[in-house]
Amino acid sequence: MIEATGLTKRYGSKVAVDHMTFTVAPGKVTGFLGPNGAGKSTTMRMIVGLDRPTSGSVTVNGRRYAEHSAPLHEVGTLLDAKAVHTGRSAYNHLLAQAATHGIGRKRVQEVIEMTGLDAVARKRVGGFSLGMGQRLGIASALLGDPQTLILDEPVNGLDPEGVLWVRNLVQYLARQGRTVFLSSHLMSEMAVTADHIIVVGRGRLIADAPVAEIVARAAGTTVRVRTPQAGALEELVRGPEVTVTSAEPGLIEITGSTAPAIGEAAAAAGIVLHELTPLHGSLEDAYMQLTADSVEYHSSDVGQPAAPATAPSPTTPGATSSATEGAVR
Amino acid sequence: MTTLSPTADPSTSRNRPRAGAPDRLGVTFPRVVASEWIKFRTVRAAAWTLPITALLMVGLAFLSAWGTSQLPADGDFMTPSAATLVTNGWLLAQLAVAVLAVLTITGEYGTGMVRSTFAANPKRLASLGAKALVLAVTVAATSAIALALAWLAVQPFASDLDLALDLADGETVRILLGTVLYLATIAVFAFAIGALLRHSAGAIAVVVGLLLVVDQVLPNLPLRFFEVTSPFLPSVAGTRLLYDADTLALIDAGRDTVNLTPWEGYGVLALWTVLLLVAAAVLVRRRDA
Repeated sequence: MIEATGLTKRYGSKVAVDHMTFTVAPGKVTGFLGPNGAGKSTTMRMIVGLDRPTSGSVTVNGRRYAEHSAPLHEVGTLLDAKAVHTGRSAYNHLLAQAATHGIGRKRVQEVIEMTGLDAVARKRVGGFSLGMGQRLGIASALLGDPQTLILDEPVNGLDPEGVLWVRNLVQYLARQGRTVFLSSHLMSEMAVTADHIIVVGRGRLIADAPVAEIVARAAGTTVRVRTPQAGALEELVRGPEVTVTSAEPGLIEITGSTAPAIGEAAAAAGIVLHELTPLHGSLEDAYMQLTADSVEYHSSDVGQPAAPATAPSPTTPGATSSATEGAVR
Repeated sequence: MTTLSPTADPSTSRNRPRAGAPDRLGVTFPRVVASEWIKFRTVRAAAWTLPITALLMVGLAFLSAWGTSQLPADGDFMTPSAATLVTNGWLLAQLAVAVLAVLTITGEYGTGMVRSTFAANPKRLASLGAKALVLAVTVAATSAIALALAWLAVQPFASDLDLALDLADGETVRILLGTVLYLATIAVFAFAIGALLRHSAGAIAVVVGLLLVVDQVLPNLPLRFFEVTSPFLPSVAGTRLLYDADTLALIDAGRDTVNLTPWEGYGVLALWTVLLLVAAAVLVRRRDA
């Protein structure tokens, strides 16, 4: 259980984390999602006492991290894969970490096997790939068999096999009743890994809800309509709450209304519809929508129309299957 | 990278009590010392600098004994005492020691290791103390062994130079013990500067500058302020422990400023070291890692 209250970190005039209040509950995987520079890593560093909050507080299992007499048994942390002396072997790194808590060589060997580092454990960490570094960081986090795990971008640099391994591992750990808090900027990964998601942007908490709820919330009310009388329909439904975009002749997307309302309006006006499809959002859309205003580093679009943030994609499974072909009268 | 076992139980088969149970000591100072000892001996800095330290001590003792033996017997030279001859490698050895000391802490900041260290021991000060302790003990042990080897190395000239270490003689004991103590203290001194600056190159430059340049330059500036204060510079004061009475008299001749006794001088160096270490401790606790 991680509880943050009004957590704030300021670097000079720049606010990295801005009054964040959230709870990470045991028994599920909680994703910490946000664009680069959103304050995810800073928040995680404050949880384990590496950075000092400007104001606010955060506790793990009821106490500040530094107040635990055996912190590695409480919280396992992967902050970044490079928090290791490059001149030391993986085995010796783990051995030194273990020694602070009187954890024996047997457990060191166990976490090495568990993370698949056997072959490179005696090699100096400086020569490790990013993926091996991540595995070492995860091994280090598991050393104390902690009840809470905090993993900052654990799948960064892992091959597909490794990504799958991390996903299964964190879900397995959560099922055991542990608290798992992992950050990522990869929505697709979060969608399949996390049960609950905390979305941040520019240091602020944007959303804190179960994955399904976040996706549902962002699904919005966009409806795709195919009609030979697009112009007429557009005139008909356009209003202060309703926006209409046209992708190609005879195909429009209406946001702010519902499929039944559009269908009825079309029927009343005698407009023929060839397709009437409510579009469901993906986590990716939800995320883009939520963080559209809070991206720290904007990149210019390359060969793409601007503002993709409000365009839900029909590629989500189940979206097109609900298509209704309708011709009225 | 083939052992992928997502279903392996991380809690293993052993029945562990919940965290915080009474049989768990958690982080204790001896455990932090054990951890720092593992860290100290598993990077290459120590494996290089400690043998170099010993080599410099032995080599310089041998060279100066040989050099002294080549002097014409009837010349009016001040022949060094046996203790001075055996210990005079300190001048170069202290540089190797200082580099090791700085790297002990800046290596952690430079690589990011310090975050792992402070995650395992969030109270931090024990880690700093344990590092300093491991460093001081190792440097002292290396110096002591190096002195013994240096004594063996000058044996070929023992009869020529009438060399004899009289361990009942206060000054001999002071110089031998003093060399060990001085090098260990310089190590902690340099370590504290490393902890303050957190940057290898910067800290090494500052320490070497303090040990060699400042101590050589400031006392010779023709300004009263420097004349009065320079006896209290860290290494000017500390090295008084390493000179025999004749050399001290030679250094002090013609100076009207304070002349510290050998142990007073060492006390001044120790005070500098403690002050820097306290400053480092305060900052290490306060700064983000």
